[in-house]
Amino acid sequence: MVLVGFAVLAQSGTALGHPMDGSNAGFVQSVDGPAPGPFLYLGAKHMVTGYDHLLFLVGVVFFLYRLKDVVLYVSLFTLGHSLTLLVGVLGNVGVNAYVIDAIIGLSVVYKGFENVNGFERVFNTKPNTRIAVLVFGLFHGLGLATKLQEFTVSDNGLVANILSFNVGVEIGQILALVGVVALLSYWRTRPSFLSYSFATNTALMAGGFLLAGMQVVGYVLFS
Amino acid sequence: MTESTALPSRRKVLTAVTGAFVVAAALLVGAILPAEYGIDPVGTGRLLGLLALGQSQPFATEEGEYRVDRAELSLYPAEWVEYFYRLDEGSNMVFTWDATGPVTYNFHASPDGAPAGYAESFDAQDLAEGHGTYTAPFTGIHGWYWENIGTEEITITLTTAGFYTTAEEGRARAAGYKPLTDIRGNRIPVDP
Repeated sequence: MVLVGFAVLAQSGTALGHPMDGSNAGFVQSVDGPAPGPFLYLGAKHMVTGYDHLLFLVGVVFFLYRLKDVVLYVSLFTLGHSLTLLVGVLGNVGVNAYVIDAIIGLSVVYKGFENVNGFERVFNTKPNTRIAVLVFGLFHGLGLATKLQEFTVSDNGLVANILSFNVGVEIGQILALVGVVALLSYWRTRPSFLSYSFATNTALMAGGFLLAGMQVVGYVLFS
Repeated sequence: MTESTALPSRRKVLTAVTGAFVVAAALLVGAILPAEYGIDPVGTGRLLGLLALGQSQPFATEEGEYRVDRAELSLYPAEWVEYFYRLDEGSNMVFTWDATGPVTYNFHASPDGAPAGYAESFDAQDLAEGHGTYTAPFTGIHGWYWENIGTEEITITLTTAGFYTTAEEGRARAAGYKPLTDIRGNRIPVDP
């Protein structure tokens, strides 16, 4: 009975951000029992098509020249969002999706600001970048948990399904990072990298402000 | 490269943050609010025709004849019946049915031109009632299969309304009939 309802529900749509589109949402609602494959796919899709997560990752790896550092920072981010994704869904922690998505938008602003050395220049301080990426990982995970909770996910097979979703998120993250890191590595060999890195991180901040602004307006209108 | 020469000035950083904020605010107010939320504070939504994007369409008209059908279907134990409709892709139907005893049902549809016996199943449960709406995902024959799984004779009362062109009861199979299979290729049970 798991896949019943798959095709017919493909028409409803949801509004903003990058929620699961209609057919995926319909599928999640109709699932009763463990379905590792589909949840793996949904997790990966959410990450690869989630521009807020992607922008944040671009900010995180922008100045990481060594693969070792990329792995370290991404692991911290993964640790953070895995924790809150699991605890959030299992503990049924309800956080307003607009609030959490606004914070995720601000995490993008934060990363861009950090990359243009804003903290040194404006506040004469240098926050620990590892703790920051871990803390923002916690918020991103809460965002993932909120997305899953928006749909009535059956308790039957819930743990297996969340774990599958989480593994999918990591797979999607690795896929996205391979592309981002490859492009950045190539760009770093060109002189334009340093000339435009300031502009790129300014654009990142603008993108973050935009995402946060959309969510704040959404909160005011719909919450 | 020393740190101090690589660091941008405080002024440059502040300009960048302000610039980023202003660009984001302009895009938000000028394009995103009208297109996504239907709010048009500075009139750019109307100017660029973005307002229409944000409007959902709560009202839709349908072509074709509106029909309401009511059927009472009696089933002895282990007997089955089908009730099916011809709907075009995108046409809607509202339904309500209940049975006086336990039944198993399967709502399925066969697209026009599909091989004989092919059907996609959209809902299959052991419930004594069902109420809801159906939007045909393709043009073809759409409908229920019910089977009495109890030990008493029962009656199913079915009422539908919508834009279908035929509504028929089916209890017999034509010669050369092949069993129905659902979306996963499992046979849909028909013969008691």
